[in-house]
Amino acid sequence: MKHPRDPAAPGRAAALLLAMVILWPLGVIGEFRPWTLFEAQNLRVMGGFLAAFLPPASGGEFLVYLGRATLETLAIATAGIALAFLLAVPLAMASTQALSVSRLGPGAGRRRGEWLRAVLRVVLVVLRGLPELVWALLFVRVFGLGPAAGVLALGLTYGGMLAKVYAEILESGDNRPARALLEAGASRLQALCYGLLPGAAQELTSYTVYRWECAVRASVVMGFVGAGGLGQLMDQSMRMLNGSEAATILLTFLLLVLAADALSGLLRRQLGEADGRAGALAFGRRTLLWLLLLGSALLGSYLWLELGLAALLSRSALTSMADYFGAFFPLDLSPGWLAAVGWGALETVAISALGTLLAAAAGLLLALPASGRYGQAFEQLTRFLLNALRSVPELVWATLMALAAGLGPFAGILALALHTSGVLGRLFAEALQNAPPRPRDALLEAGTPSGIAFLYGTLPEVSPQLIAYSLYRWEMNIRMAAILGFVGAGGLGQLLYVKLSLFQYAQASTVIAAMLLLSVAVDAGSAWLRRWLASPGG
Amino acid sequence: MLHLSRRLALKSALLCALASPFFNTSVAADAVLRVSAIPDEAPTELQRKFAPLGKYLEKELAMKVSFVPVSDYAAVVEALASDKLDLAWLGGFTFVQANIRTKGTAMPLVQREEDARFTSKFITADANIKALADTKGKVFAFGSPSSTSGHLMPRYFLLQDGIDADRDFKNVAFSGAHDATVAFVASGKADAGVLNASVWEKLVDQKKVDAKVRVIATTPPYFDYNWTVRGDLDPALIKKIEAAFLKLDAGNPEHAEILALQRATKFIPTKKENYAGIEQAAKAAGLLK
Repeated sequence: MKHPRDPAAPGRAAALLLAMVILWPLGVIGEFRPWTLFEAQNLRVMGGFLAAFLPPASGGEFLVYLGRATLETLAIATAGIALAFLLAVPLAMASTQALSVSRLGPGAGRRRGEWLRAVLRVVLVVLRGLPELVWALLFVRVFGLGPAAGVLALGLTYGGMLAKVYAEILESGDNRPARALLEAGASRLQALCYGLLPGAAQELTSYTVYRWECAVRASVVMGFVGAGGLGQLMDQSMRMLNGSEAATILLTFLLLVLAADALSGLLRRQLGEADGRAGALAFGRRTLLWLLLLGSALLGSYLWLELGLAALLSRSALTSMADYFGAFFPLDLSPGWLAAVGWGALETVAISALGTLLAAAAGLLLALPASGRYGQAFEQLTRFLLNALRSVPELVWATLMALAAGLGPFAGILALALHTSGVLGRLFAEALQNAPPRPRDALLEAGTPSGIAFLYGTLPEVSPQLIAYSLYRWEMNIRMAAILGFVGAGGLGQLLYVKLSLFQYAQASTVIAAMLLLSVAVDAGSAWLRRWLASPGG
Repeated sequence: MLHLSRRLALKSALLCALASPFFNTSVAADAVLRVSAIPDEAPTELQRKFAPLGKYLEKELAMKVSFVPVSDYAAVVEALASDKLDLAWLGGFTFVQANIRTKGTAMPLVQREEDARFTSKFITADANIKALADTKGKVFAFGSPSSTSGHLMPRYFLLQDGIDADRDFKNVAFSGAHDATVAFVASGKADAGVLNASVWEKLVDQKKVDAKVRVIATTPPYFDYNWTVRGDLDPALIKKIEAAFLKLDAGNPEHAEILALQRATKFIPTKKENYAGIEQAAKAAGLLK
């Protein structure tokens, strides 16, 4: 019998070879050395640390700290999202083209309106271009210790993100009612409330809820820079190599993230149902109940955190803030420092690219059982594994990997790979489940081995989606890679952390500028890549 | 357009009014002494160490004392500079940074007797490293970048021995804390490292050090930790704080517990001039510009 062969094998091999050639320098920059994982000494340290995981810490005093930190984490996320919402609504209203009066036709304010929107878009890019952890690191210094810095950091970054997405959601819907209202002389607020919101409210709310879920994950790690919550506890336990405390905290992470997931899923399903029933804003008893719940959660968060925002806005606080941010200018642009920052940026890109690639490979492998191809038991098991992988934030993985692989960029690669394979695995599994089964079934019936049937029957159906997901995560991972250095995992973060510790703010601001540039470049690059892939020639 | 901006102003005023109940006003700071410490140990440990001292200060000063835990050295300095802390336990280098950030108003009050002749230990687990010169080309671990005994002074003394930490090591790692440095060296994550002598001795006493880890060098003595107040605190209160620390006496069993937790035999007065050497070292080592 002739051995079944993959006819596209030479092409695939060539592509693989090309990829290796491109990836090789990235591997060198990222210090990609998997064998260090198996060095006897590293195995011993990691083994000793993991052995201390059992039993997880359950001392009374520690549990009290843990409970408090968990509540603080939730409160930071909730208050942060509330602040983000307050910021995002006016920003989105001013920057969306759906409410543009000047686009209606040539008028007195046309040029000014365009300028204003352009400026606002730049503001939004700066707000969301810097990772929330960098904002938190900066705010911890000015606004003092504790959760206020975390709330403000979340508020600014997520405010930028929400504003952008709100604006896009408003633009993507049917704009004719709003336009008609504006043309008839309605104010923007009227046009928003009566022309746009009825069509977009569900999507807006759903996205806000999803962002809250992300904020919970983000506020978990805020503590790594001293901004309160669970991260602060985790940071200390990891530094002291206290395995049993780390184990309890990791379990808490897992529970918290799964609970936030479930709650957000529930809320969004309810919204979906409401959408199906009434079409427009369903303002029934249930909505009222949710609003009440939301109100009390917000109030509770503010009271629990004792934010004292009024004190932040006092004259002395404002002067010290101005002093502090003034110290960041002018940027240090000396050639030596620029070279160091450039190298850090390269390392960051290498970390993110390799981490995402590993994650895409591992995610695909895990997605096969998770999509139910090998039975129920395997499906449940891998789904749990994927949830566990993604519920541990990248930064926490990085602290763990710094033990397993040593400090440096390789730990960052592993950290990104672990977290992202959890995320991508879940998305890939969904894509595989939704793939039309017929091409594969036809191949199988014709006697094709199942491996080849997968390559030719299923993969072509899902690969554009898989690639799009991976690219999107890569974009996010570049931002993430920039901050993994806070815990010693290489890249720009390490430079920023050291320079801020030494109060060398001029150098620190060069690093921040580099992060911002990287983020903007990635935004533009991935938008271009997606367009290219979507175009028929790509 | 004008009409529009007035509308916006009105709206934001409304928002502020709605939000104002949340901007709580519980910041009556006068009756409370706000204290913190650089996080060279776990916050739980810091709080445990501080509890009896806090009670003692409350009694001596007749005011409420609250401890604010922090996870970042530099955050303590900024908090002191922006009047968010009244009293802080600082390292020598963090004091120098605080002195600069507060434009010379931060005032060191007292230090432990031990802090006047503090040292750091260079350690390794590598049999081939016998002297400091052998650490060239190796991976070297410091503690926190802002640490005096875990970074600044060792870096300075290395430089005097002809070893430039930025150029001569293969890789420099910041473990974040003194005990973490020992873990890095024991595991081989770093070939050599440096930490403060006090923590080293504590870990050796508690038998928490891997047998392979040994000391290859000790730095000359220098001034380290002190208790610093912000300069614009009430002078009468400053006097009272200083007196309270100086009164601590190992012969008194209640005081003995406080001193033991602080790892001090007694507290002695200190002054800014004691830290001029650290400032010079920081400049020489390129950590201060």
